[in-house]
Amino acid sequence: MNSATIILWCIAGVLFLYSWKEGTGTVKRGGLLAWETTKQNALLLVLAFIIVGFVNILSPDELVKTWIGPNSGWRGILLAESIGMMLPGGPYVVFPLIAILFEAGAGLAPVITVITSWSTQSLLTISFELPFMGWRFTVIRWSIGLFIPLFSGVAALLLWG
Amino acid sequence: MLSTIKKYQIHFLLLVVIIILGVLTYLQAGWDLVQAGFLQGIKILWRELPLLAAAFLTAGFLQSLVKEEFITRWLGADAGIKGILLACLGGGLIPGGPYAYYPIAGALLKSGAGLGVLIAFVSAKNLWSVSRLPLEFAILGTTITIRRYLITFLIPPLMGIFAERIFGKRIKNIRENIDL
Repeated sequence: MNSATIILWCIAGVLFLYSWKEGTGTVKRGGLLAWETTKQNALLLVLAFIIVGFVNILSPDELVKTWIGPNSGWRGILLAESIGMMLPGGPYVVFPLIAILFEAGAGLAPVITVITSWSTQSLLTISFELPFMGWRFTVIRWSIGLFIPLFSGVAALLLWG
Repeated sequence: MLSTIKKYQIHFLLLVVIIILGVLTYLQAGWDLVQAGFLQGIKILWRELPLLAAAFLTAGFLQSLVKEEFITRWLGADAGIKGILLACLGGGLIPGGPYAYYPIAGALLKSGAGLGVLIAFVSAKNLWSVSRLPLEFAILGTTITIRRYLITFLIPPLMGIFAERIFGKRIKNIRENIDL
């Protein structure tokens, strides 16, 4: 069990204790709401995780290594944003990949762009965002977000070359 | 018929993505890898079940504990900058992947949180993420990590303010969007 799971169980535990203090009605309602959310989203989660599985297997590592070279400038930043969107998995998977990239000579600006783009624009994350937030929220957040990796990359380029 | 399609539109969308990825995998490496991809997904889901359970329970208790007037007051559209900063703090501190924080964000949306607040919450989770910090330092090194944090530090609150200004009025439509 990783630390995120442990911390989240602790938060759930504290919230449970609070609900208990408020009375059994609150506990029951909380449990019921949790169950409803689970039921509503169970199938969606299975589908979303199958997508994660496929992206994992297809693994675009090679693309990443081929596309961002050193001194790639503006084009590198644009490419880095697209690559960041497609990187699969959590930080355990993505950070080592980006570290390899940096060691291979990728510039600081594209690397920062990749991290930012993976953080805010990841296409894989959308499979989880859509069910819980709806498409309207997703479209608004994602489109505003498109500028962030570009901004970060350009800022890094101007500040540190 | 139309309402069924509307109810399951996201299922359909995800299914289409799965089919496209399946065909891509098949063309690249054959049937065996299609099966492997499928199984890989189920395996990851199985591994993440404890985290999912915790996330759903947190979302459930949060919804039942927190009174709507509290959310409207602190995290609603009229909470202003205070709500956005609070959301950034919450987002930055909450651990776990998208399957953990989106159920929680969804619960907040249902309970009356404003758009700017929700955007700030998700963006701070993505960019501040304290639980990710040690790993980022360890694997990517001090220089990259500090510089990235410096550059992106102001983005979550700014994005929240911007989204609230421009699209804040649409929160009702957005909320209807999940009450399928």
